[in-house]
Amino acid sequence: MPPTESKREKAREVVDILEEISILLNTQLDRTQLSLCVSLIENGVNPEALATAIKELRKDTQDLQHGSGMSQ
Amino acid sequence: MADSRLTRVSGTLTSLFESLVPPSDLDQDDTDTEVRIDRAIQNAKDIVYHGDSRLPADTNQAQDLIKRKLLRENASPEKAARFGNLYSRLLAIPILNQKWAILYLLYKLSEPATTEPHPRNPLADSDQFVNIPRRQAHSPEKSLASEDQEEVSAYPPQAPLHRGRAFPSKLRHEHNDQDGVSQEEDEDIREAVEPPEQVAEKPLLAKQQPRVTGPSELDLLRDLPFNLQGVSSAHLEFTATTTVKLPPTLPVPMLSLLHALAEPCLLYRGLAEYAAAQDGGLIDQSLRSAINDELRSYLTLVASLESEIRQALATIEDSHDLKAARMIGVTLKRCLVWTRDATMGLRLMKLIVEDSRQKRGGQMISLIHSLSSSHGDPFVASFAERLLSRVARPFYEMLRHWIYDGELIDPFHEFFIIEPDPSSQPAIDHRHVATSVWEEKYKVDSSLVPSIISPEFARKVFLIGKSLNFIRHNCGDSDWVIQYSKSNSKPLDYANTASLSLSIDVAYRTTMSRLTHLMSTKFGLFTHLAAIKKYMLLAQGDFFELLIESLAQHLDRPVNSMYRHNLTSQLEHAIRHSNAQYDDPEVLRRLDARMLELSTGEIGWDCFTLEYKISAPCDVVITQWANTQYLKIFNLLWRIKRVEFSLNSTCKRCMTGGRGVLAAVSDKLGNDWKRSRCVVAEMVHFLNQLQYYLLFEVIEASWEKLQEALHKPEATLDDLIEAHTTYLNNITKKGLIGQQRHPVTGQQEDSLVVQVHHILKCMLGYREIIDSLYSYSVAEYTRRQQFSAKIEQRTAQGRWGITERDVLGDSRASTPTAPGGRRPLKGAQLLPEDSDSPVPPMANLAMTDDETHLTSLRSRQLNLSAEFRSRLSMLLYDLAHQPDVNLRFLGVVMNFNEFYQPVNVRRQQARRAREKRDLERRAREANMSSEVNISEKDLNSSTSKT
Repeated sequence: MPPTESKREKAREVVDILEEISILLNTQLDRTQLSLCVSLIENGVNPEALATAIKELRKDTQDLQHGSGMSQ
Repeated sequence: MADSRLTRVSGTLTSLFESLVPPSDLDQDDTDTEVRIDRAIQNAKDIVYHGDSRLPADTNQAQDLIKRKLLRENASPEKAARFGNLYSRLLAIPILNQKWAILYLLYKLSEPATTEPHPRNPLADSDQFVNIPRRQAHSPEKSLASEDQEEVSAYPPQAPLHRGRAFPSKLRHEHNDQDGVSQEEDEDIREAVEPPEQVAEKPLLAKQQPRVTGPSELDLLRDLPFNLQGVSSAHLEFTATTTVKLPPTLPVPMLSLLHALAEPCLLYRGLAEYAAAQDGGLIDQSLRSAINDELRSYLTLVASLESEIRQALATIEDSHDLKAARMIGVTLKRCLVWTRDATMGLRLMKLIVEDSRQKRGGQMISLIHSLSSSHGDPFVASFAERLLSRVARPFYEMLRHWIYDGELIDPFHEFFIIEPDPSSQPAIDHRHVATSVWEEKYKVDSSLVPSIISPEFARKVFLIGKSLNFIRHNCGDSDWVIQYSKSNSKPLDYANTASLSLSIDVAYRTTMSRLTHLMSTKFGLFTHLAAIKKYMLLAQGDFFELLIESLAQHLDRPVNSMYRHNLTSQLEHAIRHSNAQYDDPEVLRRLDARMLELSTGEIGWDCFTLEYKISAPCDVVITQWANTQYLKIFNLLWRIKRVEFSLNSTCKRCMTGGRGVLAAVSDKLGNDWKRSRCVVAEMVHFLNQLQYYLLFEVIEASWEKLQEALHKPEATLDDLIEAHTTYLNNITKKGLIGQQRHPVTGQQEDSLVVQVHHILKCMLGYREIIDSLYSYSVAEYTRRQQFSAKIEQRTAQGRWGITERDVLGDSRASTPTAPGGRRPLKGAQLLPEDSDSPVPPMANLAMTDDETHLTSLRSRQLNLSAEFRSRLSMLLYDLAHQPDVNLRFLGVVMNFNEFYQPVNVRRQQARRAREKRDLERRAREANMSSEVNISEKDLNSSTSKT
């Protein structure tokens, strides 16, 4: 089905572009994460809230790693 | 539907968050960690779900935010440019509905390139987030303030007035504020644009500052495109070229916005006026056209702005939907941001236009180049660079003509090479100043050399064009030039500086080698130099021997009896019979003999000169000045040669006579001859040393250096000229001719050549005496011959050989009869008066005539030899105190056995003058006293002693 084909093509292109931008901005998101984020936002999730959540999570994991590193 | 969406979201969220948690942690079956991770994920989900479903206010500006962040964090604008590119591609794809939201997310997630190793403080992060919009909100204000000031300073009388009027009017309108709808809208739009924390303080402001009437922002926006093109509108009126009248009924923030927006409007007006003007030189005109182009791109920007504004206004009018208006978000502030770059460009152009008013040609290029090369702002630098490539176009066109055709096409005198007006130049005597067509036709005006060209480069360019011009006009080789320009000419421009310098180097090498090649082959410069050395500097010895021999009897005559054809025929004779006949006929054709008109000398020797004629292109190297120098040297050498020749011929006569005539009278004149031979030997020594020094030490050595300089592989014509000038200066300076200055006092001294001339004159005088002595000896000899013949005749007749009368009458002839008593006396006393004193009372008048002739000869002989010695001593002293090593060497060579005592004549003269003054003073004192006679006697004796 050509329309879906082209749509998929377009979507890939969009993700490509976004990935480049995210590298430029040093967001430390990989491609999967990025596409997940895109789909979330397309579904109406508040970007600010999502950003806060991701940051929180990163901070937590970093804390965790740090703590385990200390314990070791 | 909603449920499925929700589940999909939660599913995606879970997978996202799990991917965010590092897998290494999952390996450890540390329940605590797992619990914490789960909690954290749950937490994050909570945040997402409970997050405001509304988009934050500045989502739409995410693109601007990102761009700014990139600009701020990176030194080069390259990343921002890349982002702009990506963004436009993203816009082109219609697949996403929430592009800005995604960008916003990315922006929020972005971190500085250098991430700290330790976990970031969330407080600091949130601070940062609050700060970014604030800073952004502040920066326009700051720039507004600065621009405001700038505007006030640029247009001092008007701007404050408007502002001053704005305040009272605002106060006045505080109370009559009714216009609800538009104000509401206005307020909404403003809220839409303003960052959140300003929104927070907005209610406060709104309460304090009641709304004012006046044109709404939408009205202003509608007019803005026209204003930006410098056209007056209902609200903004351009009263003069540099002033704009703002509506007085606006709130202060709006006014300051308008102030800032007024800047491009006014700048555009001024620049458009400038660009439309016609006058000025080529570079002026190219600047105008470049500015015109820039203005055109500015107008394109204004047009796109206008379409945006139109669209926005249409949407607002159609829908009356506040949300839509918010989404469109075209506001004055945003217009200001959009026009910011353009304003910078306009400002820069205005600056250039203002600065270039006093400048022309290369200076203008230098001005723009300094902006492009040394301005810290990359935007300014790249803008100026762009401008420069267009402004410099006529300059490169002129440069191309100059270095490929050798023609100066510069109707407005903007190029750094100028052709001086011959009528405006002061008249100079070419015989004294070394100048020529080569030096004078073109000049470099260093103030017009643009800074894109280094001085070394400019010198090369100048030389190339000058050489081409010279080849074309003075060497008559325009064919080569045309061919050269056809084969090598290529367009030059600012863009490829490297290839420019390369092509200039190539052109330099080609033209220089061509010119030197022409000079050496077609015009035989080196042949001429060698010929000049041969014939003007007396290097061709046999030729000069012959010439001087054949000319001798002609030159002894007075000048006015000399004829040119005689001289030329003698010259021809000398050429025919010497090795000169094998020389190039071209060289011999140029050789000419003539008399100097300006000379006041009476006989031919003083006026005779050889001349070597130099024709057109070579006279660039061998200038008129050089010819004069050659003549000077030739005169000195010729004079020395002449003295040498005459001394030689005299010597020769004496030698041959010595065996016959002179030996016969040696009893009477032997001592005179002996003395004269000694003096002549001294003179010959002097002459030999002088000639050796001049010809060998000076001329040959300098010639060697000249040859070396001339045959360097990359010698240019300038180098040739310089080498030749050094050569001549060397010769004249070391060859005694240069002007001498006292090493300490700097006073002009008698130049050495004057002293040499005096010495030579002495020698000539001495030679004359020897000649007369010789003729006297011959006369004496014949008299004796006659006398002895008479004696024989009388004896044959049977009478006494010698009568009383003979003894009395011919005292001279009788000398052999009584030689013993008188000779030693004469030799010892050296005073002819004493020796001859006994004779005159007894002799008659005819006989004393003869005697006095001899005595005067002797005295002159003595005087001249004494003068010769004293002058030589003076010269030796001066030579010994010369700064030049070679001249000191000459002194040493002449006086190698310290036969002469060098004396400081000036000091002696000074001492004598002092003594004389002393004596006079003493004489006056003595006059005062009574014993006049005695003291005078003393004085006389003392003066005679000194």
